[in-house]
Amino acid sequence: MPLLTRGFAVASSEKRPNTWLGALLFVLGALSVWVGSDLLEREGGLLRIGLVSMGLGAIYVGLDRTMWRIRGHRVAVDFWLSVAWLAVIGLAAVFADWLPFAESRDASKSFSAPVASRPDLFSSHPLGTDTFGLDLLGGVVYGARLSLQISFGAVIIGLVLGGMLGMLAGYFRGVTDEVLGVLTNSMLAIPPLIFLIALMVAIEPSVLNLSIALAFLGIPTYVRLARANTLVFRQKEFVVAAKSTGARHGRVLIREILPNVLLPLVSYAFIVVAVLIVAEGSLSFLGLSIPRPEPTWGNMISAGANDLRRTPHLVFVPGIVMFITVFALNRVGDHARQKWDPRESRV
Amino acid sequence: MIRTFLHKLLQLVPVLLIVSFLTLALLELVPGDPSISILGADAPAAEYERVREQLGLDQPLLERYGNWLSDAVSGDLGDSAVRPGVSVWSLIASRLPVTLQITVMALGLALLVSIPVGVAAAARVGSRFDRGVGTVTSGLISIPQFVAGLLIVQLFVFNPDVPRIGTAVLLWFVALTLLVNWCRRFVSDREGGAGSVFVGCLVLGLGLLAFFWWPSFPRQGFSRLTGDDGLAENLRTTFLPALTVAMSEIAVFTRLLRSDMISTLQEDYILAANAQGKPLWRILFRDALRPSSFSLMTVAGVSLGRLIGGTVIVETIFNLPGMGRLIIQEGVIVNDFPIVQGGVLVIALFYVVLNALVDISYAALDPRIRRGVV
Repeated sequence: MPLLTRGFAVASSEKRPNTWLGALLFVLGALSVWVGSDLLEREGGLLRIGLVSMGLGAIYVGLDRTMWRIRGHRVAVDFWLSVAWLAVIGLAAVFADWLPFAESRDASKSFSAPVASRPDLFSSHPLGTDTFGLDLLGGVVYGARLSLQISFGAVIIGLVLGGMLGMLAGYFRGVTDEVLGVLTNSMLAIPPLIFLIALMVAIEPSVLNLSIALAFLGIPTYVRLARANTLVFRQKEFVVAAKSTGARHGRVLIREILPNVLLPLVSYAFIVVAVLIVAEGSLSFLGLSIPRPEPTWGNMISAGANDLRRTPHLVFVPGIVMFITVFALNRVGDHARQKWDPRESRV
Repeated sequence: MIRTFLHKLLQLVPVLLIVSFLTLALLELVPGDPSISILGADAPAAEYERVREQLGLDQPLLERYGNWLSDAVSGDLGDSAVRPGVSVWSLIASRLPVTLQITVMALGLALLVSIPVGVAAAARVGSRFDRGVGTVTSGLISIPQFVAGLLIVQLFVFNPDVPRIGTAVLLWFVALTLLVNWCRRFVSDREGGAGSVFVGCLVLGLGLLAFFWWPSFPRQGFSRLTGDDGLAENLRTTFLPALTVAMSEIAVFTRLLRSDMISTLQEDYILAANAQGKPLWRILFRDALRPSSFSLMTVAGVSLGRLIGGTVIVETIFNLPGMGRLIIQEGVIVNDFPIVQGGVLVIALFYVVLNALVDISYAALDPRIRRGVV
């Protein structure tokens, strides 16, 4: 590897790998995950965690090499895995009511279930149970439903309101721009978590209210994005042409500028959703979002944090699910942004 | 220069006015007011009225804001509504240092890790190390702060051997790589001067230090710098919260510096320096780092402002008496309006002033902006 290379040393300079080596790695990885998660039930936690994470790493590398061999070029395995994860968690959230989970919400129905059992993939409680015997897998899926509903709702509200204001600021400039600029700066200067906490003390925690509250976090970001993107287009020939043929401001904004600004704004939605999922989780962790018995990722983690030493899985099962979801949203969002944001792709 | 400075300062005024007014308006939405926290839930109605009148809560919103503002401008943030006679300033003065210490430590920690890692990744673009850094940083960014905090507690407090041995092995591995690189000079003529031996030995020593003298970190609590136990105890109680806050910043800073550094390293003057046979570390740290660090400095400044208002989570996990918990637990929850207003104003002040300073320091760092070329 030469130092100070000009540009990226592209992976295609490396040799195309063997299929069977990749496939072997994949199988070995799966084996290691299985042994770690199931067979060594009596062994120490660290050994099992080590085995499972090594296995997952091997599965990833194996999959990468196998796809590379089959397709003849490098395939962005992490991107496709992220898409798959989001699809799985989205579908599970939608069809949660029809899926055969053990009781995860009503503690009066889980008397017969084992209490605080550790994750065991091939039992009726694959991800374990909490201190009330409630199923963690079911909790995680119902939590995903609430998280996704709230943050997608918030993003849509933020996108519509913020996008509109930002387009107006970028299009008209002048006083509109100045006023909106001061307003967005003020909203950004209020510490977001403290703002949310004050708001949540004031209002009932419901899905709609939380969406509206979280939308306030997204609005300043969207105002800035929409403004910046409108600035890119407002001097373009087709806008000038529309104006000189006598189109009104409304028509120029909606017919000429909106179609160009919309895609970059939507491409940021994944990343904003990721941020809002974390924000909702933080609120929930502090006990200010949707309360029990409805499980959310945040309130599951908060309940588990009381006895972190003895039952760490109560924190880390929802924690890992949340981490993977945020990671997947970021990954897909980066991809979408590179593809759709004119300011990114021009570079 | 002075004119731009004054102009920037003037722009802060409306932002602060709006922030403080929004805070008051938001508090107006919160059900209940200080009188309930003072008298309890079942005092006679007339009593509530009397207390409200005493606190000036019977006046209309705008008038109350005007009164508060005229006091605040002269530096008086009023007294706590729930605990009479306790001034908001004294509360803030006892809490702000905790928050400031954690954020400054977190920022320092993040820069300490991200500058060498970012530079090293940029110097070997596309290498295994670079790709590893890419994976680790995108993972770090995605860990929610409260999960990160609990993970750190689980590792550092409950299983201290894992981070101890992990850190030691990692440092030894880095040291070994550096020393092997140095030994290569006997085979080929480039790579690794005396500097890498020095750094290698230093890292080796650090690894030994980590292995044998790993401190034990407390689960919660805070020891003041000015307290009886002094600096060591203070650092011991603040390290884990600072690390929690630093985790995502490390990732952001590393990525930023790496990408800026990559484009700097393609400049012709770097090629020239390389052709002169200057040692690699000198090219990287003396010639390329400063021009690559503008966006890092911007983001670091903005982060500092943002983090001061964002430490509620770590304060809750590690039970620290900081600004976040002051505003939430002693302000919002018990409806102590003056504390919330004063606290949010101080945090917003830090945020906007730091942002303005970042803007101004651009000019100081980059002569092209100072002379209006760019």
